[in-house]
Amino acid sequence: MPDKVMTAAEAVGLIRDGDVVGLQAGPTQCAPMSLVRALVRAGRRDLHAVSLSGSMALDWLATSGALTRLTTAAVTMESYGMCRQVRRAVESGVVGFEELSETALLARLGAAARGLPFLPTRGMLGSDLLSVGNAHLAVIDDPFGGPPVVACQALRPDVALLHAHRADADGNVAVDPGPRHPMTTLLPRASDRVVVSVEEIVDADTLREHPEQTILPSFAVDAVVLAPYGAHPTSLFPRYDYDAAAFQAWVDASRDPADAEAFLASYVHGPATHDDYLALVGADRLSALTMERAS
Amino acid sequence: MSGAKRSTEAQPGDAPSTSYSVDELVVSRLAAELADDDQVLNGLSSFVPVCAIELARRTHAPGLVWVAGGTGVSPSHPRMTASTFEWPLWDSALMYVDVATELWDWVADPRRFRTFFAGAAQLDAFGNANISVVGDYHRPRVRLSGTAGLADMSVLDKRIVYVVTDHDPRTLVERVDFRSGVGFLDGYGERARRGLGGGPALVVTNLAVFDFAPSSQRMRLRTVHAGHTVDDVLAATGFVPVIADDVTVTPAPTVAQVALLRDEIDPEGYRRRGFPAR
Repeated sequence: MPDKVMTAAEAVGLIRDGDVVGLQAGPTQCAPMSLVRALVRAGRRDLHAVSLSGSMALDWLATSGALTRLTTAAVTMESYGMCRQVRRAVESGVVGFEELSETALLARLGAAARGLPFLPTRGMLGSDLLSVGNAHLAVIDDPFGGPPVVACQALRPDVALLHAHRADADGNVAVDPGPRHPMTTLLPRASDRVVVSVEEIVDADTLREHPEQTILPSFAVDAVVLAPYGAHPTSLFPRYDYDAAAFQAWVDASRDPADAEAFLASYVHGPATHDDYLALVGADRLSALTMERAS
Repeated sequence: MSGAKRSTEAQPGDAPSTSYSVDELVVSRLAAELADDDQVLNGLSSFVPVCAIELARRTHAPGLVWVAGGTGVSPSHPRMTASTFEWPLWDSALMYVDVATELWDWVADPRRFRTFFAGAAQLDAFGNANISVVGDYHRPRVRLSGTAGLADMSVLDKRIVYVVTDHDPRTLVERVDFRSGVGFLDGYGERARRGLGGGPALVVTNLAVFDFAPSSQRMRLRTVHAGHTVDDVLAATGFVPVIADDVTVTPAPTVAQVALLRDEIDPEGYRRRGFPAR
């Protein structure tokens, strides 16, 4: 079995200009931020991001000019508000925005995962999401005589980016006990290539102690990147909380596009590696985010 | 569910509070919409709904099942923070659910999750909601966060209760720029003709409470909060609502409800976010 452990810079080499990139991300939760920083540093262009409810990662990609299209149900940093750089990019026409309901986005990815041309949903009927010329949605009759449904065309990302708790070198990926982010399990099954950053790399026998915690088999994973605190500034339950000060700093910076670019210069382009990034954030601050309940 | 038995006799805490704030009034009014035998989930940045759910669970609806943050079922010690999706709300849950594989399946059943609380950037006379764009969809004047689950929930056979913390003519409009949440469409039965059940049931704002008139399905003023007049409400509304024959004053929260909110459920006062400063 090939060793799939590589650096973030090597892993984002699996992503090409123009790729569809699926991102695991909640508003403040478990986004693969270390991989996103490497992606921005690599200078990729013309990316189409797919995210259920993305936040800061999308804002950074928009700021760097990497993003040209977005498929999502919501872009929000929750109480930190709308992602301003995504908003500007969409309002100025730089980024196209495919808005879907949650079940529609899950249907598009679910169809890709199952090798189907589409999956239907009952969502969005009567909404204007069906009247903006989205060629990936079609209202169809139920062949069994029930009311119409919305066919959602399969959407197959070229690459999925995730962050998880641990993996072995072969690419078997495991998570700590806790809720499973919907994109952690669905997105890799829908995607051609899968890159996972992890808090720690362990041997296979360690995974065998808790097979119920293993969520991805090695054959589904192309790259494993070691990145402790790799979701920072987002949270990774039950290991660490989101960094409220970092979110606020980004909110403040993104009020002005020039300040947003300066922020990226400091926190994304400045630190060349994940270790450099952690040193910049500082051990004290990371320690303060660490949850006591983590084993 | 073995909720604590409450005496049927009147308790001192059941008296109407004489010193409450508008956020507490809105929370109390929302809590009354939740039934003991129902299930409910909360959305993002939903401080008022979360307070209402927890207030209902601690008073008249101990059997209400709450999927906190769309993640944790019936937490015993939900803690309000700046997020209504993060772990302090749900880490004392009975069960974790996966949004992709479980939650929408449960919600699809019309017998379950019968009431959902939602907010909107714009809400119109027929209860259609916009959280997508102001202006043209492809080149919007303002890009909003996006529909998330509202374009699903509002199509299903549910009662949608809208929460408006800033009742003004820009929020309550005759017609929304974009229908992200499906209300009664153009009214007069159009929703039912499209084969859709459920729909918007109630709109609770910082000034008043509306339901929807039976035939036109336009928003109908039912109660006005103490300290405001019907004329105040009409002046702050960007369309002409139906006015019920018997507009009354919105019932005040009880002494016990206000104490629970301030002392136990939300001591930090996150529920006040979004209400105009007074």
